[in-house]
Amino acid sequence: MDSTAILKSLEASGLATRIRDALWLFPLIESTHVICLSLVFGTILIIDLRLLGIASTHRSFKQMASDILKWTWAAFALTALTGTLMFITNARVYYHNFFFRMKMLMLVLSGINMLIFELTAGRTIHRWDKDPSAPRAGKAVAALSLAMWIGIIIMGRLIGFTTTRAATLAPPPAGVNFDDFLQGTPDKTGETPTTQPERK
Amino acid sequence: MKQFAQWLSTTFLSIFMQKHNSWVIPTIQSIHIIGIGVVMGSVFVIDLRVLGWAWMDQTLRQTTSRFGPWLTAALCVQLTTGLLMVIGEPVRELVTFSFWLKMILVAVGTLIAVIFQITLRKHEQRWEETLVNRRSIQCLAILTFLIWVCIIILGRLIAYDHVWGSWSPAAKA
Repeated sequence: MDSTAILKSLEASGLATRIRDALWLFPLIESTHVICLSLVFGTILIIDLRLLGIASTHRSFKQMASDILKWTWAAFALTALTGTLMFITNARVYYHNFFFRMKMLMLVLSGINMLIFELTAGRTIHRWDKDPSAPRAGKAVAALSLAMWIGIIIMGRLIGFTTTRAATLAPPPAGVNFDDFLQGTPDKTGETPTTQPERK
Repeated sequence: MKQFAQWLSTTFLSIFMQKHNSWVIPTIQSIHIIGIGVVMGSVFVIDLRVLGWAWMDQTLRQTTSRFGPWLTAALCVQLTTGLLMVIGEPVRELVTFSFWLKMILVAVGTLIAVIFQITLRKHEQRWEETLVNRRSIQCLAILTFLIWVCIIILGRLIAYDHVWGSWSPAAKA
C-alpha cells in the first residue's frame, strides 16, 4: 500500500469519522492537546533552565529530574495521542502540510537532542548534580531543546492556519451543541457534514 | 458589545493587524501558547508542592519564590498578547460565550494566586507547618489547577463557539 492509500484508510476509519461528525470531539481533543503540550513545555523549561544555570540553581538536578520528568512524559504521551487523533481526521492534508512536516522533524531532532544529553552530560550527573549549571554539553542541549520546543509550538500553530482555512467558510454543522446537551436530545450524528468546522 | 467590537476593528492598531494578518496573528498566538506553558508549569509545580508530590526538599515559601515571579511575568505576557488578539480580531473574540467565561476564570485563577502568595508571606510558619497539610488546602490546589485547565479549554473554544448553541452570542447574529 502506498502512503496515500494508508492516509485515506486512516481518514475513513470509524474513529476518524466519529471525531469529524461529533461537534464537541475535535475541539475537546484539541484543547487536551494544548493543556498537555503546555505542561510538556512548562516542565521542560524548568529542567532546561536548571541545566543552563538560570533557575533552581541550588537544587540537585537528579532530584528535580525525578520530581518532574515523569509528568513530562505522561503529558507528552497524551499530547502525542491527541495529536494522532487530530491527524487521522484529515490525514492527507496534514501529511502534505509543510508546517506539519517541519514540526515532526523538530520532534525527531529534539528526541535525538535528548539522546545526546544521555550520552554526554547525562553520564556524569553525579559529578555536577549540585553545581549551579550543567557542563558545556548539557548547556548546549538545554539551549537547543528550548529553541526546538518553541519552534514546535510555532509550527503547530501554523498548521492550524494552513490546513483548515477553507473549511471555515462553511457554516457550522447542524448537530449536537450545548442546547441539545441541556435538553437531552439524542445524538444526531448521521446528519452532520463531514467537513471540519475548525477555524485555526 | 458587538458595536464596541466593530468600533475596535476600525481603530488604527486593529487595521494594521488585519492587514498583516497572515503573520501577526499566528505570532501572537504562538507567544500566547508559550506563555500558557510557563503559567501551567509554574502552577503545576506549586500545586504539586502543596500536595506533597514534588519539591519536598524545599519549603513552600522557597517553591513559590522560585515559581511565583515566573507566573506573574507569564500572566503579564498573556494579558498583553491576549489584549492584542482582541484588538486584532475584536468580533471573533468579544462576541463569544467562551471568551467571557474564560475571563471570569482568569480573574478567579489570578485572584487565588495573589491571595495565596500574600497570605503565605504573612503567615509563613502557619502555612509550612499546618495549613499545607490540610485536606481543604490540598483540594484547593487541585481546584486551582483545574481552573487553569478550563481556561485553556475555553481559550480554544473561542474558535469553536458554535458548540455552545444559543449560549453563543454569535448564534443570535
